[in-house]
Amino acid sequence: MRVETIRAAGGRPAHIRHDDLISAKSVSVVMARQLVLQNIDLSIPKGSFVSLIGPSGCGKSTLLKVLAGLVNPTSGSVSIARLSPVEAARKRMIGLVFQDANLLPWKSAVDNASMLLGIADKSLSRADLRARGQEMLELVGLGDSAHKRPHELSGGMRQRVAIARALALDPAVLLMDEPFGALDAITRDSMGQSLLEIWQRTGKTIVLVTHSIDEAIHLSRHVHVMGIKPGRITESLDIGLPYPRDLSVAEDPEFVRLAVQLRTMLRASHQPGGAP
Amino acid sequence: MSDQPVTNLSESRLASSWGAATGSWLPAAILLLATIVVWEAVVRIFAISAFIIPAPSEIAQSLVAQWATLMQATLVTAGEILFGFLVSVVVGIAIALVIVRFDWLGRALYPLVVLFQNVPKVALAPIFILWFGYGLAPKIGLILVIAFFPVTLSMLAGMQSVDRSLLSLMNSVGASPTQILFRIRVPHSLPNLMAGTKIAATLSVIGAIVGEFAGASDGLGYVIQFASTQLDTALVFAALLLVSVLGIAFYYAAEVLERIMVPWAPKFSHA
Repeated sequence: MRVETIRAAGGRPAHIRHDDLISAKSVSVVMARQLVLQNIDLSIPKGSFVSLIGPSGCGKSTLLKVLAGLVNPTSGSVSIARLSPVEAARKRMIGLVFQDANLLPWKSAVDNASMLLGIADKSLSRADLRARGQEMLELVGLGDSAHKRPHELSGGMRQRVAIARALALDPAVLLMDEPFGALDAITRDSMGQSLLEIWQRTGKTIVLVTHSIDEAIHLSRHVHVMGIKPGRITESLDIGLPYPRDLSVAEDPEFVRLAVQLRTMLRASHQPGGAP
Repeated sequence: MSDQPVTNLSESRLASSWGAATGSWLPAAILLLATIVVWEAVVRIFAISAFIIPAPSEIAQSLVAQWATLMQATLVTAGEILFGFLVSVVVGIAIALVIVRFDWLGRALYPLVVLFQNVPKVALAPIFILWFGYGLAPKIGLILVIAFFPVTLSMLAGMQSVDRSLLSLMNSVGASPTQILFRIRVPHSLPNLMAGTKIAATLSVIGAIVGEFAGASDGLGYVIQFASTQLDTALVFAALLLVSVLGIAFYYAAEVLERIMVPWAPKFSHA
């Protein structure tokens, strides 16, 4: 499909507010002649917790990569605090967490936590990096595992180190691509709860890609539902549940109502469509 | 639950793998012993001539009788193997680094390396003798051309199997290709590299013996050739035994090196 026709398909104009940290305007991505993302308009306020949810193949990971500056949009524009994503990344404004922790097996937890910071800022001494790594490990609840190697840590602990590594950059925004997707249900719940606490303590803006309806409602303030063929945002839902939330929020009638609503939206998003 | 440390589990696995290792030694030892006994018996019962198949006892006698000569030859061959092996590893690593770091050069070099791999390198031995004489140089050259390839290939495989999202992380903070190469790709490739190094250690032994066959005045390969012209088959076998011992020694030395270089190698991190 041609880029021109994507543009012609047109969409709502983006409503950019002044407190938006991230804004995407009519972003489309074509990869290998496939329209992966169509006309994405997204604005994410500073300090917000936003989830992107949708079926496999809806391009939610690609959207996250566009925000991270790892994929260039074929058309449209993205800005993070008025910078391009690549500029923002160079200024250490973007912290990334993927499904796989991707720790370096030859480094201890504390050295893994400070690894990216060391590359981003060459002026820091080894001692500075260690101190920062240790501080971040304590923030994610791994203060006493600093000298363990990744193979001595469980899956959940490894993912905590990955979060510490992203936070060590002191980024404005944390972009997370199914960070708990490979964990068991119990670990997943406790990781979500920890993430909420980290969010409230640090005031970071968090964008979370997830498959889980419960996780999206438990954690986020806004949920954007994405549909397939082509990948697009089909619905957006505000989660009005008050913070601080804990796991008991799942018993709240409002949570149950939102879960039903979100499930209905997701079912609709499985239907291909959108493009004329 | 899975947020608990798993050290104890991996330690107990280590212990049980030790048990398995010693357990697996025993059947091999029994089979070896039985083979020697049967060999000795068959040679004696059928009165097979010593220059066709010498009995193990005759090989042992030859080993003792020619001990000084054999040890001297072993030392020469061991020196060739060690030197050739080290050169192969260094050159193999250098080629892999160049291929990964300099894309254009890599695309020029890689097909040639693969093409060269298809040359029967044993056939190069006479040419190397012609070029470099009868000394150490032709043996090193022959070991190099035989043994560098598994080093290059395994290190390349290791460097190219780095997870894409890890590279994304590095790119997002503006890491240079050189930083990615030395901080991520090279250490990531070490388990593969060490596997390739073990293959190179075995091939180095072959390279040294072939080199000595083609032209030498010393070393175990020379002893084997000399003894076979004298129909001293027991001495041939004694030298072969020492070649095998050298091969095993180099292989296990490479394995010890692996344990030291990559303590995080997969076998320790299956937890």
